[in-house]
Amino acid sequence: MNYQNPKVQETAELLKGRFAELTSKSDILKAAELRALYGEIPTLPVDRRGVFGKELNDLRAELQEMVDEAGEQAEALPPIDLTAPFDVNVSVDERPTLLPSETGTKHPLMTELELVLDIFYRMGFMALESREIDDDFHMFGSLNFPEDHPARDDYDTFMTTQTDLNGKQLIAPAHTSTMQNRVLQAHKGNLEKGEPIAVLLPGRVFRNEDLDARHEHTFYQFEGVYVDKGIHAGNLLATFKTFLGEYYQQDIEIKSQPFYFPFTEPSFELALSCPFCQKKGCHVCSYTGWIELLGMGMIHPNVLRDGGIDSEVYTGFAWGCGLERLVMMKYGIEDIRHFESGKLNFLRQFA
Amino acid sequence: MKVSLNWVKEYLDFELPPVDELAERIGAQLGAVEEVEDLGAKYNGVVIVRVVECDPLENSDHLHRCLVDDGGKVQGVERQANGLVQVLTGAPNVHKDMWAVWLAPGVTVPESAGKEPFVLESRNMRGSVSHGMLASPRELALGDGHEGLLELDGDSIKPGDDFAEAYKLNDYIIDIENKMFTHRPDCFGILGVAREIAGILGHQFTSPDWYINGLQDMLQADGTSLPLEVHNELPTLVPRFVAIPLSNIEVKPSPFWLQSYLLRCGVRPISNVVDVTNYIMLLTGQPMHAYDYDKVKAVSGGDTATVVVRYPHSGEKITLLNGKEIQPREEAIMIATDKALLGVGGIMGGGATEVGAGTKNIILEVATFDMYSVRRTSMTHGLFTDAVTRFNKGQSPLQNVEVAGRAVQLLSELASASVAGSLIDNNHVGEQSRERRWVHPPVPVTTDFINSRLGLQLTAADIQKLLGDVECSVTADDDRLLVQAPFWRTDIETREDVVEEAGRLYGFDKLPLELPKRSIKPAAKDTTLELKNRLRTRLAKAGANEILTYSFVHSDLIKRVGQNPENAFQVSNALSPDLQYYRLSLMPSLLDKVHLNIKAGYDAFALFELGKTHFVGEMDAQDPELPNEDNQVALVVAYGDKRQPVGAAYYQACKYLEGLIDPHSLELTSLADFDLTKDAWGKELTAPYEPSRSAVIVKDGQIWGVVGEFKASVRRALKLPVYAAGFELHLDAINFSTAARYLPLPRFPTVWQDLTLKVTAEKSYAEVRGFVHRALEANAPHDTLIRLDDVGIYQAKGDQAHKNITFRVRITGQNRTLTDKEVSRVVEAIAGAAQKDLAAEWA
Repeated sequence: MNYQNPKVQETAELLKGRFAELTSKSDILKAAELRALYGEIPTLPVDRRGVFGKELNDLRAELQEMVDEAGEQAEALPPIDLTAPFDVNVSVDERPTLLPSETGTKHPLMTELELVLDIFYRMGFMALESREIDDDFHMFGSLNFPEDHPARDDYDTFMTTQTDLNGKQLIAPAHTSTMQNRVLQAHKGNLEKGEPIAVLLPGRVFRNEDLDARHEHTFYQFEGVYVDKGIHAGNLLATFKTFLGEYYQQDIEIKSQPFYFPFTEPSFELALSCPFCQKKGCHVCSYTGWIELLGMGMIHPNVLRDGGIDSEVYTGFAWGCGLERLVMMKYGIEDIRHFESGKLNFLRQFA
Repeated sequence: MKVSLNWVKEYLDFELPPVDELAERIGAQLGAVEEVEDLGAKYNGVVIVRVVECDPLENSDHLHRCLVDDGGKVQGVERQANGLVQVLTGAPNVHKDMWAVWLAPGVTVPESAGKEPFVLESRNMRGSVSHGMLASPRELALGDGHEGLLELDGDSIKPGDDFAEAYKLNDYIIDIENKMFTHRPDCFGILGVAREIAGILGHQFTSPDWYINGLQDMLQADGTSLPLEVHNELPTLVPRFVAIPLSNIEVKPSPFWLQSYLLRCGVRPISNVVDVTNYIMLLTGQPMHAYDYDKVKAVSGGDTATVVVRYPHSGEKITLLNGKEIQPREEAIMIATDKALLGVGGIMGGGATEVGAGTKNIILEVATFDMYSVRRTSMTHGLFTDAVTRFNKGQSPLQNVEVAGRAVQLLSELASASVAGSLIDNNHVGEQSRERRWVHPPVPVTTDFINSRLGLQLTAADIQKLLGDVECSVTADDDRLLVQAPFWRTDIETREDVVEEAGRLYGFDKLPLELPKRSIKPAAKDTTLELKNRLRTRLAKAGANEILTYSFVHSDLIKRVGQNPENAFQVSNALSPDLQYYRLSLMPSLLDKVHLNIKAGYDAFALFELGKTHFVGEMDAQDPELPNEDNQVALVVAYGDKRQPVGAAYYQACKYLEGLIDPHSLELTSLADFDLTKDAWGKELTAPYEPSRSAVIVKDGQIWGVVGEFKASVRRALKLPVYAAGFELHLDAINFSTAARYLPLPRFPTVWQDLTLKVTAEKSYAEVRGFVHRALEANAPHDTLIRLDDVGIYQAKGDQAHKNITFRVRITGQNRTLTDKEVSRVVEAIAGAAQKDLAAEWA
């Protein structure tokens, strides 16, 4: 790199020359000559200080880069033959092998998701993974959330600096419902063929909140979407009750509470009878016999219409269920943060 | 939303079921009940007393000796000859003839109830006995006040009255989750909740007459005339602004019966004027505000108080009631004069026109503010008040005058207010656009429409009764219904809204549980999810542990591995600094988890993750308006320095990679030799890897993955052991087939022989092996099957310029048994070719 200022250029050449001979390469950054140049800045006329200072900083950065590079080289391991199956002079017993099968584990959330998926496949649902970055239209607009609607407050969404084509910030979806409009659009043809739209949408969702033992900013949900002729709210409750019965391998009772979501009407919150104590009361259900699990409802006609579906003819339902709760209750996991901790003493318990 | 059951009962004309049953019904048909608090239980045995005598106690500089009259109500307490009870208190406001609250011996201090109950007894203080204590508001769990006793006004109470009963504190507070009421502004008032409770219990609700027909008499001017004008410059955002001047105000604490309403609902009493506005808000859901008339007039600069509803002028600031100064956002609705700001409309009043002890005249404002604007202003300035909670749900502007009437009535009773001018009703409700129509036209709907969506068989009469109970007007013509919602039900606009309402009032828990009917056509499994399942099964079987790490990373991590944050989507509003960017690749997150596991005592492990990565500018092929999501798999294998195996970790990572990809379909190219200048994605992917010990996975000239060891700087920054290597691969590059490839079992024995070639050290293994394999194919007898195995690579200490590579040549006859001699001839031929073409020595 060449410097405009002759003094800086001169010092640059001097220091680069000295660098090669230094044993402790980082000493070059402490060179008296460099310090002296910095000391000159206040003595310069104000209008020249900026240019001079910038050149000095550039020189310092260049030297820093040389120091880093030298460090990298000093610690670098020698090149190897990348096309070989094993290293030179390594005996047969010492060659790389896979770790023993017993130590291997799948993540408990993923094991559970496979189980959930399997049940819904058997119930006739297709599946599609939810997106991790989406736009305002899918996250809110297509779900009947008007701009500035207070219902948006319930979703502490992460936004990106980058924007979509409409100039709106992109969003880390706070619910898997962000996929509803897509699957309605993609499968509306089913309805004309006399087949339902039945899709399960698992995926990661995000809420901008502080972490504690019960709150994660990153977690998993599985959304269900079902649309056909003559679908009513009783179908919704029966479908999820059937899933729960299969999942827990026992008869489960359900209890619905009215709720509000802009994208379903009517909306419910569903509680299930505690599968761990059969309603007798235990620590999982806080001795109430019931566990509040998820939100659901009949898909709002505006959402169907935005999805290209005639809401006069077809009706449908949707739910969004968290995955972590299911797994935490099943194994008695005390802290939701363990899931994304990457700790082997947690993970290897799920062999 | 805290609901006082005693308050609700004031508007019901039937007996409520026991509170547990009621809470259950509210949960099932109105909204989740978070808590039911038995308030009355706190006040067991707490009685009202009159302080008959009060003298300073000898030997004390602050205690008073009081003799209190409890009407002889409390049993088992030591009494004076005249039946009075001695109680000592240090409260400065105690005085003779005071009405106070006595906690007798044996009574639990209400503040301590439910925590660590503190039970009072008779106690000796400075030589005198105090039988229990006289209580402050804080000790009674009624606010923060502890500088003095709670002083009651003597109206309609007598000594010995049960405190809870006298002030309706024998109450249940039912806390209903606010979320349920996001679309129900009416339920942010006791009236609305009472109406719903009647509805779900099958009783007709009738709104109080003042709420429907108003109190015109109360609003007639009867005092000094106070000139007031209102200019509304924002009729779209403020569809109605009702204001009335009141004179002759006497500001003082409100009577305790009124304070009790507020306290039970969690609102702090302030003064009679403010308490009345809050009482009305809690009752009707309509927030209101009182301004000091004279202060407003003073800033108006004339003989008239002129209130202007407008946007802030540029640079205008206001100090709010909470003491905070803000410069309101440009489009905030301001209550102001031409010259100065008075308050933030629908959010908070200003400090300068606050009603205080010296206030004589007030302006009472009952206005309606646009919910979206209020919400945005509230978010911008971080102002969250009870008024915001209500206005941002969209309170109806059709109740303002009625609500004002009731407020004036209470202010005249409690603050001696006189109406000092005509009520100003700046009303633009009729001008609203279709989107913001305040009264929806009647909804035509059929019983069939309702029943088909609920799975029920309700008759028109059933529906008329269900909706009629909550004051919807429903006319029926056979099975055709016309539903007119009352003005406060801003949520009933479409037929689906009617379905929800009918279903909820009927009881969703009574819906028939029937599964949808479907054909036996099998549902197609999702290929990506299936591939992920197969990958995790395979890697877990290979002893690796699947981990999940956050999709967002700290900029430090990105920089430490040498990636450029400019290519990553940046999170703009994360609470935690750990979540600044979407990750560019999975490997940095995996590397971040290596050291902690080594520290935890694991000295040999492989971690893998299946996840998504994003790259700014790379768009989705199917949905070009959105960023692409790359599905990746990454694995890192690491051994602690104490258990470091011989050889490079690179080969171990390759071992894992071979389980996922068919090595023949992809090309491994040295990272050092690959030109990354035109592949920004590949550059970020490979950034953490040491070029001389890593290879990129190339397909059709494009990078799909990388396998290798990590740069010294990365190892240092993330405290990685020396033996660490990994790979990251795009899922689209993974092609392991499910169908096994079968070869018929040989009928004749295999003959093998080892071949060792000494070549120059620079020659790549692949080149030598490829040559040997081709020579083997060329020289093996035509009716044989061949196989070449890797046996060893040896380099003599004294000769770094060469290496010996040993292969095992295996030949199997398809129709006959081969002789050793035949195989030797093949090996000789290979060696000969190698000598000639590779300058290899046959060792």
